[in-house]
Amino acid sequence: MIERTTKSRVVFCVFNYGLLIVFGFLCVIPLWHVLMASVSDPRLLMGSAGIIFAPLGRATLDGYGIVLSNSAVLLGYGNTLLYVVANAAAGTLLTAIAGFLVSRKNFRLAKPLTAFIMFTMIFNGGLIPTYMVIRGLGFINTRWAIIVPALMNAYYVIVMKSAFEQLPAAYEESAKLDGAGSARILFQILLPLIKPTVVVVFMFAVIGQWNSWYPASIYLPRAREKWPLQLIMRSLLIQNDVSKLLTTSSGDANHVINMTGNLVKYCVTVVGTLPILIAYPFAQRYFVTGITLGGVKG
Amino acid sequence: MQAKAFPSPKKTCDTSLRHDLAMNKGLYLLAIPIIAFFLVFNYAPMGGLLIAFQDFKPQRGILGSNWVGVKNFVDFFTNPSFWTILRNTLVISLLGLVIAFPMSIVFALQLNEINWKPFKKTIQTVSYMPYFISLVVICGLVTEFCASNGVVTGIFCAITGKPAENLLTNPNYFWAINLLSDLWQNLGYSSIIFVAAITSVSAELHEAAAIDGATRLRRVWSITIPSIMPTIVTMLILRCGSLLSVGFEKILLLYSPSTYSTADVISTHVQRLGIEKAQYGYSTAVGLFNSVINTILLITANHFSRKYTDTAVLQGRKKR
Repeated sequence: MIERTTKSRVVFCVFNYGLLIVFGFLCVIPLWHVLMASVSDPRLLMGSAGIIFAPLGRATLDGYGIVLSNSAVLLGYGNTLLYVVANAAAGTLLTAIAGFLVSRKNFRLAKPLTAFIMFTMIFNGGLIPTYMVIRGLGFINTRWAIIVPALMNAYYVIVMKSAFEQLPAAYEESAKLDGAGSARILFQILLPLIKPTVVVVFMFAVIGQWNSWYPASIYLPRAREKWPLQLIMRSLLIQNDVSKLLTTSSGDANHVINMTGNLVKYCVTVVGTLPILIAYPFAQRYFVTGITLGGVKG
Repeated sequence: MQAKAFPSPKKTCDTSLRHDLAMNKGLYLLAIPIIAFFLVFNYAPMGGLLIAFQDFKPQRGILGSNWVGVKNFVDFFTNPSFWTILRNTLVISLLGLVIAFPMSIVFALQLNEINWKPFKKTIQTVSYMPYFISLVVICGLVTEFCASNGVVTGIFCAITGKPAENLLTNPNYFWAINLLSDLWQNLGYSSIIFVAAITSVSAELHEAAAIDGATRLRRVWSITIPSIMPTIVTMLILRCGSLLSVGFEKILLLYSPSTYSTADVISTHVQRLGIEKAQYGYSTAVGLFNSVINTILLITANHFSRKYTDTAVLQGRKKR
């Protein structure tokens, strides 16, 4: 379509591009600041105020040395990886099975099961009763409390359901005629056909678990060795609990802790965020389709 | 068992449960873990709501604790901080609804006006990114920037001429800090759904209107916005349903006793009294109050949307 270039159009375009550029920069600057601060000279970092656009002093990786040799951080990293892998793999599998079941047309239980699952979107027991159930299961201070309750939620079951429903029934029928059982139909025929949706559900499970800190904070109160990285980061960044982390590793004097404390904060932030940011551009094309798949179509 | 190639809907309705069991044995087996999961982690807590009517003692359990009727609810409604908490919850939520929600639509419309593809793509990539950063990191940044020597504090004080202080400890600024950091994190991401809806708007309508002399702005107003109305309404309903459950993880990370007067919301109140002070019965009652209001809001919003726009979220499908 050819647009006539009027004066008001030009003004609008400048305004529009300008606003978007400003917002784009606002999104990047804080992250850039953290990255640059993490390689700055810790002595200069102490007195600096404002955004750091380039490393202060000579660029150094000392902070990363401290962070990556710190047993608490490494342990947290390991825990997070374990939670992410276990939760995303098992969770996606169960969500796929649930979505498959509720999308079957010749299955008596499909409709009641859909209602059973969707009701949990409308109403829930809330924080304390859920806590009581987890406690009753004996999950407090164990890794199960982090992995198991987060395996499935109704929303992603519905996303899977609508993906299955968009497949032509012929695939399933011909497989059935050839004698394939339910499990075979699901895993060998239908799941490969809805791969984009499976990837989306898996990806959101990974991101959700990677960034999760709250369940661990209430379910693992006395199991610091099982804490995910985010919870360790919380005590560092927000509760400002640097000394605990540093003295356990090296037993340095106070002024050194104060000086390197800030640097360590930035380095931990980078270490804890970078994997997500590296994976993000690859995941982007999936999540845009994923959200649109989510049943809400304009 | 192979007779299903041409299923007649009538016949499947008539099949007895036993027949269905025999036909779909595998499916029933697969359903067992799914049902068990939702029973344990979603329905059992609903049963646990009974402790809202009890003076609950964990060592005595639900069966052994004393029933106190609606005492816990009365305690909440007569709690001196009840109105403060309710006001904070509503204000924080409504600020999101009235400011952040329309802004995500405007952002999507702005993106749509960009014809230069690489630029559009870059802005999209960059603006979706903060959504994937963890709340802990974001609140860490907020804590740093709003400290007495932080960047945001510096800019704020330069504009208003006020003396530098830690903005996070001043209750007057909590709502603004919460809203702005929310916008920073979610504006791009929450616009995705609208961007997708806008791309499916018919180009023919636009061309026809352009030939008839409609200006660009006029076309946005009379074609684009009405076309994406179902999406807008759907998202609005989803938001209304969670009006009383504001992003409480973030508030937990950002608030402190000095800002309770504006930052304490229903869910943080529940968390503090329930988990930290072990007042299980009382905090369950508060949570139940919250859930019930949320459910009522969701169902009401859904009802109105079905009535006026033919779009119902809870049915998951557009009526034609």
